Amino acid sequence: MMLARVIAAILTLLAGQALMVAAVSALRRRGNIYVTIIMVVVLTTPIIFGLEPWLFGRRLDTDGRVFFALTHLALGGFLFHFMTLPDRSVTLRVLAELERAPHRTLSVAALTAKYSVRDMIESRLDQLADGAFLEIDPDGGLFLNPRGTTFGRFVAGGRRLFGISSAN
Amino acid sequence: MIRLLLPLAGVCAFFAASWITVRVFRPREPRRFFLIYALLLVIASSATYVWLWPLVRIEDMLGLACCVLLQTLVCLTMWNAFYSLLWGFSGSLMYDIFTNERLRTREHLVRSYEGHDGLDHILARRLPNLVRGGWIDMRGTALSLTSKGRLIAIGTLAAFKMFSLGMGGGIKEK
Repeated sequence: MMLARVIAAILTLLAGQALMVAAVSALRRRGNIYVTIIMVVVLTTPIIFGLEPWLFGRRLDTDGRVFFALTHLALGGFLFHFMTLPDRSVTLRVLAELERAPHRTLSVAALTAKYSVRDMIESRLDQLADGAFLEIDPDGGLFLNPRGTTFGRFVAGGRRLFGISSAN
Repeated sequence: MIRLLLPLAGVCAFFAASWITVRVFRPREPRRFFLIYALLLVIASSATYVWLWPLVRIEDMLGLACCVLLQTLVCLTMWNAFYSLLWGFSGSLMYDIFTNERLRTREHLVRSYEGHDGLDHILARRLPNLVRGGWIDMRGTALSLTSKGRLIAIGTLAAFKMFSLGMGGGIKEK
C-alpha cells in the first residue's frame, strides 16, 4: 500500500510537470524549453506540499517533506534530460524526417537537403552565440567568449580524461 | 538527511567504474556498461537503504524513492555529459573552435564537416548505426523506417508537438 502510494505520487508529479511545461511552452513558443522546465519545477515545489493529504492520506514530517521536494526536483531533472532527445538529437530528427516524407522514404540527397550540415552548424552556432559562448562577426569569424573558452577547455579536458580521440 | 549520503556514494562509484571502463577497457559501446553499472548501483543502494532504515513509515518509503531517483538522475547526467558534451555535436563544435585556429570562421567550420560523397560527417557516422540497429532500412540510397524506427519517429513527432519544439534536431526556428 505504501509503495503504491509513493509510485502514484511520483507518476502524478511527473505528469503534472509535463503538462505544465507543455502548457507554458505553448504560450512561450520562442522561449527556451530548458528554462521553462526549471521555472515550472522550481516554482511548483512549494505547491506540492498541499497535495500531501491527497497523495499520502496525511501530512508528512520534516524529513518526509524534504524527500518529497527532492523527488519533485529530481523528476524535473529527468524531464530536462528527456527533452534533450527530441530537441537536440540529430538521430531522432532523421527518423522524424523519414516519418514525414511521402511513403516514409527519402534518398540520402533529399535527407541532406532537408536537414543539411550547414543548417545544423549555423543553428548551433547561433544558439551558442545567444548563450554568450561565442561571438560571430559579420564576415563569419568566430570568437570565443570567456564562457566559451571555459566550455572548450571542459570538453578538451573531458576528452583527455576519458581518452576520446574522435567524436560527434 | 544522512540518508542522502547513500546516493552520493552510488554516484561516486558510478563515475569511478565508468571512467575505468572507458579509459582502460575502451569498449565499443560504453553505454551498455553505464546501464549495467547504474542498475547494479540502484539495487545495491536500495538494499543498503532498507537494511539501515527499514520501511516502516511512508517517509521511509519516500526517502528510498528520493535516494534512488537522485542517484539515477546524477548517473544519467554523467552519462549524458559523456555523450552530449564530450561526443556530441555542440561540444565538438566548441572543441574544434577552441583547439583549431583555422576553424574559427563559420565557413571553414561548415566545410570541415562536409563529406566528399554527398554525405556529411554527421550523417555518415549516424546512418550506418541506424541501419545496424534496425531503426532504418537502406536500399541503395533510399532510406525508409522499420516498424521499430517508426515507433520512435511517431513518439518524437508527438514530443515536437506537445512541447512546441519546432523542428527539433538542434535547429531553432528564427
